[in-house]
Amino acid sequence: MKKTSRIAPARVAQTLVYHAVMLAISAVFLLPFYWMAISAFKNNAEIFANPVLWFPDPIRLENLTALLTRDDFPFLRQFANSVFYALSVACAVCFSCSLAAYSFGCLRWRGRNLVFGLTVCALLLPGIVTFLPVYLGWTKLGLNGTYWPLIAPFFFGDAFFIFMLRQFFLGVPRELMDAARLDGASEFRIWWQIVLPQVRTPLIIVGLFAIVYTWNEFFGPLIYLQDRDEFPLSLGLFTFQAARAREWSISMTGALLTALPMVVLFLVTQRLFRQGLASSTLK
Amino acid sequence: MGAVQLLGVQKFFGTMEVIKGIDLRVDDGELVVFVGPSGCGKSTLLRMIAGLEDVDGGEVLISGVEVSGLAPAKRGVAMVFQNYALYPHMSAYDNLAYGLRRSGMARADVDSRVRETAALLQITDLLPRRPKAMSGGQRQRVAIGRAIVRKPEVFLFDEPLSNLDAALRVEMRSQIARLHQELKATMIFVTHDQVEAMTLADRIVVLNSGRVEQVGTPREVYHNPANLFVASFIGSPAMNLLPITRGEDGSILLESGEQMIWPGGKIDGPPGRALTLGLRPDRLSLVGSDQGQISGTVHLAEHLGDETILHVQTAAGRALTLKCDGDAPARLGDLVQIGLDLTGACLFDPDGRRVQ
Repeated sequence: MKKTSRIAPARVAQTLVYHAVMLAISAVFLLPFYWMAISAFKNNAEIFANPVLWFPDPIRLENLTALLTRDDFPFLRQFANSVFYALSVACAVCFSCSLAAYSFGCLRWRGRNLVFGLTVCALLLPGIVTFLPVYLGWTKLGLNGTYWPLIAPFFFGDAFFIFMLRQFFLGVPRELMDAARLDGASEFRIWWQIVLPQVRTPLIIVGLFAIVYTWNEFFGPLIYLQDRDEFPLSLGLFTFQAARAREWSISMTGALLTALPMVVLFLVTQRLFRQGLASSTLK
Repeated sequence: MGAVQLLGVQKFFGTMEVIKGIDLRVDDGELVVFVGPSGCGKSTLLRMIAGLEDVDGGEVLISGVEVSGLAPAKRGVAMVFQNYALYPHMSAYDNLAYGLRRSGMARADVDSRVRETAALLQITDLLPRRPKAMSGGQRQRVAIGRAIVRKPEVFLFDEPLSNLDAALRVEMRSQIARLHQELKATMIFVTHDQVEAMTLADRIVVLNSGRVEQVGTPREVYHNPANLFVASFIGSPAMNLLPITRGEDGSILLESGEQMIWPGGKIDGPPGRALTLGLRPDRLSLVGSDQGQISGTVHLAEHLGDETILHVQTAAGRALTLKCDGDAPARLGDLVQIGLDLTGACLFDPDGRRVQ
């Protein structure tokens, strides 16, 4: 006899309500992004038109040309600065934090847990607390106005990423490292040739987190950089909006192109992002 | 090949002493097996010889050279791990070649050495494969190959067969025995499997709580245990231990009141001396009514085909194990009479020391 599966009406209603609520919440979060995206293809009058134009008509691609050719907003230059800044920090973080995590997770030395505890305590310390002495230090070194103060600290690790990577390093079998020691590998070589290949995915996750964090970073560049040609996009967009408050369409086009790389990055690597978030909280 | 000598070796984890001043000599070309219960320190001791654990006291000598301060790679040892510890991102070839490359060997020499070792272990066809594309037995052969390829003075095996199924374990055991014969190498093998220990070892070192309880050939350790611990640990099923007292005439007085003559004549010591009698399960047998020294109830019968292991509870509440013929008639719940054959029996004093 043919079996038919029947879903209880109450269950159907529950599912419908659940999805309706989730869609409504999603719409609230997506609305500003959608508004930014359609505004990038309107002129100022269309942006503030009443009634609201929910889709740009016509699609004004000239905003894009205008953005890329303006003298007072070196978008491409600042885009390149952001790419350089984000990739440098990602490389620095992956290098330094994986070394520290290897030490905390794979090596045994006296005081290891204490030092790791202190490192994790750094997570609780707001950056603003140490800002002034650090700023004075870089000023004394004469490196204000360069990317050194923004990138160099990441070569000395970051508490959150060290903590996150250590969780993964703890999962690497100790025997692998022992075997490499018996094979005559130095600790640095073990880290580089044996352990890092085992934590390749977590390392990529950390790199992605670092890129997203740096791409959106605003306070550091605001404090240390003075030359507009040196600004990353986060700061460049802000200074443009501050100076040209009425040019909403260009601002929105800039905002869209600034956000777009991170959106694409997230869509391409969202599985890794979810994995990273789960592992940093659950392990 | 090299001899290994341990002189008063100690190891502390925090304030806890886990290796308590061990003295031991493993001769050149000998295969010595460390056995003991979990946590007795056998793997720690092996790792100390390898240089993977610091030596907190005493000396470790390999080929007469003190190596306690040397890095693992400088000691001339190679180790095979329980979980194989093959580098997962490298092919079997690269796993074998890694140590040779680290030692600065020329590429052509590395290649010939790897292929020679692969031929010896019949793993040539596995060389391009990564570990995840191999079975457990194949991985273990590659792991052994990685140890052999470096031509070390001493081979260290840390429970290398524990992750294999029963059939493969027997095959690998015979392969290790064959390698020992061919290479004439000094080997130290850690296991908790008594069959491995008994079949492989030239000598067995029984460890307990960080101390050496006895060192001897498998036969010595089995037939002449130095103390109660070794007697109860070595042998499967374990030795039966019965409390007895010395009779007026030097005989044995069992708990049941039965009197027996000690094979050697008399038991040493004063009358009434409390002792423990140790008897292997094959020295106990089922006998007809009124012929046995002990009676009890069968509460488990393990039929293994050619033999049956009977677990019997005596009237005094003692658990005894008997090794009988495969067709032994006893069944669960049967009241049985047990005869004791004191040939090869052991006597231990209350401190657990063997006295006779």
